Amino acid sequence: MILCTAILSGCEKDDFCTKDPVTPKLVLRFYDANDRDQLKKTERLSIWAAGKDTIPTYRSVALDSVAIPLNTSTIETVYHLKINDFDGNLASNETATFTIQYTPEEEFVSRSCGFRVIFNDVRFSSDTSWIQDFTPAPLTTIDNQTTAHVQIFH
Amino acid sequence: MFRYSISFIFLLVCSLGYAQEKAMEVPAIEKGSLVYKTAYGLRLGADISKPILASFNGNYTGFELVADYRINKKIYVAAEIGFEEKTSVEEYSNSTSKGNYIRVGFNYNAYDNWLDMNNEVFTGVRYGLGIFDQTLNSYTPNVNSLYFPSESINASITDSGLTAHWTEFIVGIKVETLRNLFVSTSISYKIVLAVNDPENFKTLFAPGFGRIFESGTGFGFNYTISYLIPFTKK
Repeated sequence: MILCTAILSGCEKDDFCTKDPVTPKLVLRFYDANDRDQLKKTERLSIWAAGKDTIPTYRSVALDSVAIPLNTSTIETVYHLKINDFDGNLASNETATFTIQYTPEEEFVSRSCGFRVIFNDVRFSSDTSWIQDFTPAPLTTIDNQTTAHVQIFH
Repeated sequence: MFRYSISFIFLLVCSLGYAQEKAMEVPAIEKGSLVYKTAYGLRLGADISKPILASFNGNYTGFELVADYRINKKIYVAAEIGFEEKTSVEEYSNSTSKGNYIRVGFNYNAYDNWLDMNNEVFTGVRYGLGIFDQTLNSYTPNVNSLYFPSESINASITDSGLTAHWTEFIVGIKVETLRNLFVSTSISYKIVLAVNDPENFKTLFAPGFGRIFESGTGFGFNYTISYLIPFTKK
């Protein structure tokens, strides 16, 4: 009887979503434009989407890799990436606009994790700024974030 | 809360069952070579735990009729038919399963009765078949991002004619409380053989089976009252 009670009141293993992340973020890595195999950190990098505040974890940081969310309810996310290679003064900020276009698709994962969103027909574009070049131009699908999706040369 | 109420009811039922069983045990008298005849026949009843659960839980309704037929001293052919509707409220989805089911199989009575008593401690096996619809009422994409939060989407996508096949292993007790009136409680462990999943979704609950765990297993509970229509005594 105790066993029965334990079974019926027990905690099920599919009660909690252990998959992380469920919906992939866009992973950018920063490389040296002069030595394209070499990672190069951005100085005082800040990232924000058009019309939104700066992402708290990416506020004036030095990093060679970032993971940023895409807006799943639209077909385009416009990000502004600010760096400052000089002195941190407002006047020497350089801001690039990086646009990602895609077709979002909802995909069922599990009871506890629900639906995730993957991004198909992904295309990138950038204005000419501190981002000298990036690869790849088109990408078929973003369905994981185990490797970088875009290499940015600066 | 729901789980605790099941446990509580179950506890209550178990203790009730044992108490009755004890009360029925009459003092030993000489058995000698006498053979006590017991009734054979069709036993019909209903699972009363399901309407009780439904009254506690607004997301559930269910009804089940049970029957068994004794084929020899120890073995009964048993079947259950029923209807269940359950709304599974999850963190990222809300879906409703609704449909009918049938289970057929055998019970084996492992209990040696005193005199002409008819109590049972039984184990059983069943094959189960459920035919049901599942509707995805709404869902919230799990974007794990506060920067672009997602909103709940009303879907109302129904997949009809889904089926589930499973096997069940049952243990339980039956007590004859009044002449030919039996109270029974049992629990079952279920293993999915095959189940249809809706397109880009999953069958989270199958009528007759209950909640389907990630591993394709489930648990069931029955509390039935049934009446024996005696055909003969052997």
